[in-house]
Amino acid sequence: MVTLTIDGKTASVPAGTTILEAAQQVGVRIPTLCWLQKVSPTGACRICVVEVEGVARPMTACNTPVKEGIVVTTQSEKLFAIRKQVVELLLVNHPLDCPVCDAAGECDLQNICYEFNVTQQPFEAEDVNPPVINGWPLIQQVPSRCVLCEKCVKVCHETVGSSALFVNEKGDKSFIDKHLELCEFCGNCVSVCPTGTMISKTFKFKARPWELTKVPSVCTYCPSHCQVDVNVKNGKVVRMTSEEGSTVNDGNLCIGGFFGHGYVDSTKRLTQPLVKSVAAGWDEALTLVADKIREAGPSAVAALGSPRLSNEENYLLQKLFRVAVGTNNIDSEARFGALRALGVLNATLGLEGVSNSIESIGNADAVLVFGADVTAEVPALDWQIEKACRKQNGKLVIANMRQVKLTRYANTHLNYKPGSEVALAGALAKIIIDKGLAKEAYLAKYVKNADQIKQQLKSVSLKKAVEATGVSEALLVEAAVYLGNAKNLALIFGADVSRSEGAEDKVLALANLALLCGAIGSESGGIFPIDEKGNMQGLLDMGVAADLLPGLKSFSKSRTEFEKAWNVTLPAKGLDAQGILEGIEKGAIKVLYLAATNPAVSFPDSGRWRKALDKLEFLVVQDILASDLTEMADVVLPGASDVEKNGSVTSLDHQLSKLGKARKPVGDAREDFEILASLYGKLAPKAPPVVLASVIAEIKQLVPAYGKSECCGGAQCRHAVRSRFVPAVKSMVFSEIKASAAPAAGLKLLSGKILFHFGTTSTFAEGNLVVAPVAYVEMNPADAEACGVKDGDMVKVTSAIGSAKGAVKVSSKTQAGLIFAPYHFAEMNIQQIIPAKSNLVTVQISKA
Amino acid sequence: MSQVIFSSWGRKVVDNRQGGTAEAEGAYQKMPVTFDGSRSWGAFMGWDGIIVTDPKVDVVAMAAEYAKRVQENYCCAKCTPGKRGTRVMQDTLARILSGHGEEGDLATIESIGDLMQNCKCTLCMTSAVPVIDTIKHYRNEYLSYIRGERKPNSESRYVDKLTAPCQDRCPAHIDIPKYVEEIKDFRNEDALATVRENMPLPSVCGRVCPHPCESACRRKNVDEAVSIMVLKRTASDYEWKHHHNPPMKPKPRKSKTVAVVGAGPAGLAAAYYLALEGYPVTIYEALPEGFGGGMIAVGIPAYRMPRHILQRDIDIISALGVEIIYGKRVGKDITLLELKEKYDAVFLAPGAHRSKPMGVEGEDKGYKGFLPGGIDFLREAYMGKPTGMGKKVVVVGGGNTAIDCVRVALREGAEESVLLYRRSRKEMPADVWEVDGADEEGVRFEFLVLPTKIIVDKKDQVTGVECVRMELGEPDASGRRRPQPVEGSEFIVECDTVIPAIGQDPDLSFIPEKIGIDITKWNTVVTKSLPLKNPKGRDLNDPMGNPLSRTLITDLDGVFAGGDAEIGPLTVVACVGNAHRAARVIQRWLEEGKAYLSDEEILEDILSHVSVYDKNEQVPWLDSVARAHQAEIHGRERASRKNYCEVELGFTDSQAVQEAERCLRCYRVAMLAM
Repeated sequence: MVTLTIDGKTASVPAGTTILEAAQQVGVRIPTLCWLQKVSPTGACRICVVEVEGVARPMTACNTPVKEGIVVTTQSEKLFAIRKQVVELLLVNHPLDCPVCDAAGECDLQNICYEFNVTQQPFEAEDVNPPVINGWPLIQQVPSRCVLCEKCVKVCHETVGSSALFVNEKGDKSFIDKHLELCEFCGNCVSVCPTGTMISKTFKFKARPWELTKVPSVCTYCPSHCQVDVNVKNGKVVRMTSEEGSTVNDGNLCIGGFFGHGYVDSTKRLTQPLVKSVAAGWDEALTLVADKIREAGPSAVAALGSPRLSNEENYLLQKLFRVAVGTNNIDSEARFGALRALGVLNATLGLEGVSNSIESIGNADAVLVFGADVTAEVPALDWQIEKACRKQNGKLVIANMRQVKLTRYANTHLNYKPGSEVALAGALAKIIIDKGLAKEAYLAKYVKNADQIKQQLKSVSLKKAVEATGVSEALLVEAAVYLGNAKNLALIFGADVSRSEGAEDKVLALANLALLCGAIGSESGGIFPIDEKGNMQGLLDMGVAADLLPGLKSFSKSRTEFEKAWNVTLPAKGLDAQGILEGIEKGAIKVLYLAATNPAVSFPDSGRWRKALDKLEFLVVQDILASDLTEMADVVLPGASDVEKNGSVTSLDHQLSKLGKARKPVGDAREDFEILASLYGKLAPKAPPVVLASVIAEIKQLVPAYGKSECCGGAQCRHAVRSRFVPAVKSMVFSEIKASAAPAAGLKLLSGKILFHFGTTSTFAEGNLVVAPVAYVEMNPADAEACGVKDGDMVKVTSAIGSAKGAVKVSSKTQAGLIFAPYHFAEMNIQQIIPAKSNLVTVQISKA
Repeated sequence: MSQVIFSSWGRKVVDNRQGGTAEAEGAYQKMPVTFDGSRSWGAFMGWDGIIVTDPKVDVVAMAAEYAKRVQENYCCAKCTPGKRGTRVMQDTLARILSGHGEEGDLATIESIGDLMQNCKCTLCMTSAVPVIDTIKHYRNEYLSYIRGERKPNSESRYVDKLTAPCQDRCPAHIDIPKYVEEIKDFRNEDALATVRENMPLPSVCGRVCPHPCESACRRKNVDEAVSIMVLKRTASDYEWKHHHNPPMKPKPRKSKTVAVVGAGPAGLAAAYYLALEGYPVTIYEALPEGFGGGMIAVGIPAYRMPRHILQRDIDIISALGVEIIYGKRVGKDITLLELKEKYDAVFLAPGAHRSKPMGVEGEDKGYKGFLPGGIDFLREAYMGKPTGMGKKVVVVGGGNTAIDCVRVALREGAEESVLLYRRSRKEMPADVWEVDGADEEGVRFEFLVLPTKIIVDKKDQVTGVECVRMELGEPDASGRRRPQPVEGSEFIVECDTVIPAIGQDPDLSFIPEKIGIDITKWNTVVTKSLPLKNPKGRDLNDPMGNPLSRTLITDLDGVFAGGDAEIGPLTVVACVGNAHRAARVIQRWLEEGKAYLSDEEILEDILSHVSVYDKNEQVPWLDSVARAHQAEIHGRERASRKNYCEVELGFTDSQAVQEAERCLRCYRVAMLAM
């Protein structure tokens, strides 16, 4: 510790602390303008100058580390004069357009002028400011308002890692410019801008800051659940903000959080119930649904829940169907991914999701991102990886069939061939064992069958692995050494693994690797199976799955417990999503209830789903946006968006947060909970009325994890339902995995998520559509040439089960032999050519 | 005889405007009286004041121009006083010059100048110094502009240059503050691009450079120098440790061709910059493939410069389109004249690979165990050939090569490795850290010892060296105390191998005598230079005694020379700087038929002669962060047999950022009125 004196107060701080931070600790406020806690100090504005005894010039507090025994003065006439003059200089040629500047009222420059009583302009100079930049999508840049604090540049480079922004030109002509092709449109530059230089085009001229009501909530576009404030004016959501310092995401957002809220005010919002596409009253619609359900009988009814719904809604949904209807035909899209990963990780390791917090990734000393475009799937994980591997000394290994954003920062990119995941993970494991890097003490303590599996993994043939993966032995060794040397490894895997054919084996192969590296249970890092959907963990925790009851309990094993709690007899079995599909096709399922989910676009084999939906006797769609699906529905029940409801959601890392209801649902639409509760009343008229409080109480009682921690009552209350996973002694097992057969030859198509969209919802948000308006098929130049197509050509992509059309985007980001297509767009509907439980298919390309 | 009219340089005012012949000390005395041997200069403006030698120079107009150039060409805009302050200064001066100024403007400039003392770096901050000096000392001239009595009629041409103490002292003139800041900003790729602008062998000079820059680091005036060299390594390692391809793209291919003799630092550097300009370059290298790099390869052992990393730098140069023909010795496999015929220009960079004799009795007898020389020993060891070394090795010399020899001897299996040096440890020309490294590895040092005779047995096998003890007398020309033998102190150091490592010189036998290329008495190639003389009429020379400003063309048209064979045996970085300049001159010669230096290059030479660094400058700064040291493998095992693993390990990324934060960014702008 270093001891120093600041304005007569004694501060004792760790070495390396800056004078500014030390002053904050003893309650001395030093004025700043360019300083931003979450990035490295810039020292641009010079407003934080302080005097240090014995040093003949003022030092800037923000970037000067403390020294033992120094005596610092933060307020003096001399310092005031310097600060004031600096502000006067900042105002040279600053436009007096505060009345129409979006930042007015929340402008740091205004505040600092006020603080230093800057009322006159003693300096003048020619105005050489470059013109306003209007050409960037979503963000306008007004150079004349810029104080060149570089906060935007630093957040862009250091926190987000897109490194799009830079200072261009010399001298007073300097301005913030952008490599547009690198921009992720996260809006963080707008958030951190102290003036009105970086302006959100979607917010511009919509409101004065003081007119806004800020309602604390979380963004549920992805499962990291960034804490946000929904900014509402006259019932309209005009922007999303997030506070630096006090939020789990430290004020950072991605395109979804910042620009993606437009869907809530989309013209496609459903505003009233529809029966056969005709407006109807709620009672009429709900009575019809209840009648049809009763008419069909429990075994002919099925429901699909959604990670877009809150915990309480999902809980009520499964209870509605299990208890009030009496069917266990309830499932969700988790069946195609998240549940597959969870199933095997739970069985072998006892995990109930990720093993550690998202922030813990930021302190890992190596990160392996396997089969995930983590930037797109859970952007907040990307920011932690930036911290671990760029600001600290972590090593980054990316195993991906494509070049993703993070590849540019990777120490090693394992560009494996489609279908070779098991071989790749096995090879890495073998090298770690062979090099003596396996964490032996850890294995001995926590793993039941360590020796056995080590023997098996040792027998892996590196030569075969090189052949299967297409990755050189040198790269495999390099990556394995990085992973093996890590004390705290974060192993993250995503859609390319858990939604693919043979996902279970791939997940187990990665679990083996994580065990060898001692990653499960370590202080930082851990194993992170990720799924891109907002409330996926909550959906699973609430038991929306044919084989799971609330609390991730096995349906078959815990049925009696719940029968007792609910005072019913539950059906012995139920159909999962695939079973429901087949049931519809066979005519066994007659009524389907879709709660905020669209199998005809989002699910693999969506074309088959679409056909099946046509066969139903009765289709109920509870959703918020009009689509082909709602047109097919017999009854449409308009629900509420996240900003229009109360309830809770659970993040990827088991943090329970409350949604903030910022306004009423649009038109006659209702909160989804209310819809389900009403239906419950109709189907079980004798049951006591269902209210939110009773459901919350029931969840706490039946799902122990949700029962132990109390909500603090604060608007941004966030508490862990599960803390860091600590394995019990000898509780985990290695799994033997047989090498999978090499996939059939031929061009492959991979479907997946892109950074600019979230499920199908964001395709209704104007902000997202500005930067990603349509689907495409991304092809390697070699493949494009072989297929005789060029950039922009419309092509038909045909697999054994269907075909889809889209424009070609030639890019070397995908390897030769692999085509990538985003799945978000209903128009292209790429999922119709992807078979069930897969995300990859052999295709042929022809010109459309 | 030149006369200073006015000088405020170094904060000492010499004013001869009203007559008088007061002498200006310091900078002025180190400057040439003419800019390039023919054109005279009238005033100099820079970080430490102004020097006026021609009364006709319009000092006000010059100050206005200086402020303009600082703001428009150099100000990085990364702090408020700099970005806006220099703009206000520029515009205020321009207003005065245009006759629209007011007397109060002078106070504004002075007040802005004061505020600029709070700049983030010293670029704008020091630019206020000469401007304020002109206001202080040329106030009447300003007032006559303000009163409208005077109009600008200056015919002056100005040459300016952005520099920094470190950048000036670096023989390759790398923009050090820029790349250090880029590392600080987590932009290692940008940092490497900056390094490469003047240093195509970044991994080499990030490891084995004697880093003269650090001896001119202004941070030294606060506490210790910034670890500039290791930061360069950080940037360079980042690229290959992330498998990034270097971003350089050569310009479209040109038709004129260049041959380079020698794939050492000079040859590679010239080839690199010529290739980037689009010239097809062919390098002729005497050693076989796999041993490119010249003295870096065969003179610097792999534990200091890992071979694969050096090879990567060479491969990058090849990838730019440079053809390297290995195993072809010019003068033997192809003649210089043939090269001259075949190519439009020839650059001679053969290096200095011939060991100098020791001058000791018995050295020319061909004794077994008496090896030809240090550099030969290192080369054989590097190439994996038998070195002829035994078990008890004595190396004679005090330079880096001698140290490399004792350390390599251990790695080649010597049981005893002894260094004999005739002066004391303090006087050793070898880098201190190299000497310490040898110490740690178990090398035995015998200081103040002069070998006098090689002792052999009947089979002419070396068995020892007879030596005499020395004591230090008066300082000689180099400033080091001259060693003198102590009578009767003879003794014998037992050994089976003696390696003389007292220096090397170029082997220029491939240059035919009558070809028209002149050779100095130190056996280096003579190149053309500017006849620069100081006010006292003395020639301006570089620290090696060569003329300060050289075009690097030999007396034979189309043939240029550089590197150790032109400078004299020096350093990698000196060879690179010299070859980079040669590349630019060669391009001018190829395109314009003239070999000349640009004004900026001449100013660069003048500045380096003046020295931008001032060790006596008081630098007010809080010394709260000590210099970082890179990790290193310790213990004698690092020098075990055949262990050529790298000893120094570089910084971690976060360590590098922290070290880069220590940089004071000591930019300065110099401007000369012609």
